Amino acid sequence: MTNLVPLNITVNGIEYRLYIEPNITLVDLLREKLGLTGTKKSCNEGECGACTVLMEGRPVASCMVLAIDADNKKIITIEGLAEGEKLHPLQEAFIKYGGIQCGFCTPGMILSAKALLDENPDPTPYEVRRAISGNLCRCTGYQQIVDSVLKAADMIKGNQV
Amino acid sequence: MPIKRYMDRIDAIEKVLGQAKYAGDIHIEGMLYGVIVRSSIPHGWIKNIDFDKALTYKGVIKILTQKDIPGENVYGIIKKDQPLLAKERVRYIGEPVAIVLGEDESIARRASHLIRIEYEKMDVVSDPLQSMNGGVKLHDDGNLLSHRKVIKGDIDRGFRESDVIVERTYRTTWLDHAYIEPEAGLGYMDEKGRLIITSSTQNVHYKRNEISRLLAIPEERIRIIQATTGGGFGGKLDMTVEGYVALSVYHTKRPVLIRFTREESFLSNTKRHPLLIHYKTGAKKDGTIQAVKVDVTGDTGAYASYGSTVCLRVAVHATGPYEVPNVYAESRMLYTNNPVSGAMRGFGVPQIAFAHESQMDIMAKELNIDPLEIRIKNALKRGSKTATSQELGTSVGFIETLKAIEPFWKGRKKSGTRGFGLGSMFYGMGNTGISNPSSARITLTEEGKIALHTGACDIGQGSDTVLLQILCETLDVDGKDVLLVRADTDLTGDAGSTSASRQTYISGKAVQLAALNLRAYLEKEGFYRGRGISEIYRSYRDRGFPPFEGYFDPPTEALDMDTAKGKPYATYAYATHMAEVEVDRITGYVKVLRVYAAHDVGKAINIKNIKGQVYGGIAMGIGFALMEEFIPGKTESLDNYYIPTSMDMPAMEAFIVEDEEPTGPFGAKGVGEPALIPQAAAIANAITDAVGVRPYELPCDLERLKKLL
Repeated sequence: MTNLVPLNITVNGIEYRLYIEPNITLVDLLREKLGLTGTKKSCNEGECGACTVLMEGRPVASCMVLAIDADNKKIITIEGLAEGEKLHPLQEAFIKYGGIQCGFCTPGMILSAKALLDENPDPTPYEVRRAISGNLCRCTGYQQIVDSVLKAADMIKGNQV
Repeated sequence: MPIKRYMDRIDAIEKVLGQAKYAGDIHIEGMLYGVIVRSSIPHGWIKNIDFDKALTYKGVIKILTQKDIPGENVYGIIKKDQPLLAKERVRYIGEPVAIVLGEDESIARRASHLIRIEYEKMDVVSDPLQSMNGGVKLHDDGNLLSHRKVIKGDIDRGFRESDVIVERTYRTTWLDHAYIEPEAGLGYMDEKGRLIITSSTQNVHYKRNEISRLLAIPEERIRIIQATTGGGFGGKLDMTVEGYVALSVYHTKRPVLIRFTREESFLSNTKRHPLLIHYKTGAKKDGTIQAVKVDVTGDTGAYASYGSTVCLRVAVHATGPYEVPNVYAESRMLYTNNPVSGAMRGFGVPQIAFAHESQMDIMAKELNIDPLEIRIKNALKRGSKTATSQELGTSVGFIETLKAIEPFWKGRKKSGTRGFGLGSMFYGMGNTGISNPSSARITLTEEGKIALHTGACDIGQGSDTVLLQILCETLDVDGKDVLLVRADTDLTGDAGSTSASRQTYISGKAVQLAALNLRAYLEKEGFYRGRGISEIYRSYRDRGFPPFEGYFDPPTEALDMDTAKGKPYATYAYATHMAEVEVDRITGYVKVLRVYAAHDVGKAINIKNIKGQVYGGIAMGIGFALMEEFIPGKTESLDNYYIPTSMDMPAMEAFIVEDEEPTGPFGAKGVGEPALIPQAAAIANAITDAVGVRPYELPCDLERLKKLL
């Protein structure tokens, strides 16, 4: 067996102290060790964005991040977005405005969109397209995803007023 | 007007929460992981396989080969010609040879690299024309998988009576479905020794049948359940992981998970058939098409898969949505040592649409007629006879789709290197000239719910929601009163495959018929006068409760083997797309700026879903037209297979035409494949309009367009 290394990581507000293989990627840690299978693995080379999570608030392809590089970092996955029963506006908007078909790109897509809206609460359609350009979707043609993100931005602004 | 019972997707909530379980997300304590060992050469005899190093690798449990298959080592949706694991010969790069089962996935994967296969290489057939000329024989019954003709009228007279003849050759290449979820499946034996498999699939009943033959165990000992499925587009119709999972569970008696990497998905899944299309059109001066002669040669790769279906469908759709009095369409599908081509959204029709729509524009230019006008002039309408001499009686909304686009077409303003193009299509709903029924069953539950049991697989397109809407609309109840039991061979009847744009139309009709039976019963029982389902359920529990069933098989007629005369489909969908592009002459880069798409769907059941299909179809059409190309032996990942991103997409508008189809539920037909079919053709025509050169080969990527410019 390889020598295990210690890891301190906060995922969706829960702090984990683990010993891990030094070569395990963040996506495998989340999915295989922590059972957070909402994060999807599709290309495993940073091309498709299905494994996108937020690390310190920034979207990363978790297949391209070694878990040890997330030491002492805060991670948000799709499982950490809703607050109890209350969905995040992005989740609500994706349901309501057709942002979902097969759903496999959805977790990554929503997290890329969240990173955008956290930084830019009032994006243009072009800015939304750019923000999700690293997330491939084969079903929707992106139109209803872009619509959903823009509607979510409206919902968030409305809530803050 | 859409039907009243509007519904958000019923699977959306678990998908936004990250709770939806795709097959690769399922974990069972003690499960093994399987990895497939594949052929590295396109054609050869297997002389020897050295397993020693892999077998002694720590954590490897078992390695399985064709010798371990207890039943018949052959499968295939139409023709059974493909071995699950290669016998003595491999016929394409990526052909499965063995399964390595390990305690974890990385063990199985590392061990799989330690297996050494010695081959005696054989001559390779890499082109269907070369295949046709013989030489190397790929299968015992020869290299020609299928040869079909569609004949109508007198083709020679048709050309004699034509004023203008346009003759061109078109080529398309391999495309990959590139669904974001790679293939995956998990299997185990339950406490009764039955084999249970949960997989990413488009059809559960077909897979149960194949596994029964592979393992030589009766179908009732096998249960196939569809996991949440991350896209299909035809690529999950054939056996993907299911056979390997089944064999592995059979031998180890332990749970086994097999999930493909992206590279394995590219290597293993079926491709869109590359077609070589010679197309000759004859027309009168006024634009009336007199004759169409088409000769298609297709490459089905090493095994049949859906090759014969594509062969026939291409010939039947060769004229496009136009009434042509004299037709001679001939189509051949040949085996080669290339990847297996199979079902992919449209079964060959997107390829032939590229040809017939290019021909239409060339003819329009020759005759100095507007491209929209020439389409309207020749359009199929009620009373028209198709190339198979089928008289179209109902739901022919083609001209309405052209009319929906007309204002934008007339308002177009050409400038610089911007251009505009039209693409139209028709598409038969369901399988071609054969029975393809669906069934549905409804039960009542003690809790007072109406439960719909359907074998239809929702692969992301939204059939679960649409079928429930049809149930609710028929019964006049709300979404909260119903529940869905779906795609499970133990609990649902056969609904046929999720393919050929057939689920809304065929399974939807089966659901509607079952619901009408239930409705009559509920009326008698006082449900519509306020008596609750729970009460009705309780009062009938002791006497047994009648199941309410529905069954629908679209009325078709088998096609004549020599002329294809007959009624291949009960009904057709129609569509027209208009694309606006801008071409960069320096780089050959084509930007699609705007697309208008009009679809005759019969009756819209769920507008949001329909638009989602149309936008997604446009995306796939842009990929087909401009960037997607699978190169055997080279393409292995999304790094060198480009699918459109959000930045590649144009502004889009979708228009719904509703010419109701009397045999469909509330008049509905289908839209899944039609959404894609005319898009690439519209882009090709727009490129020609923009820069005056015409692409005859897709994808029209930077290199190909630069060459033309």
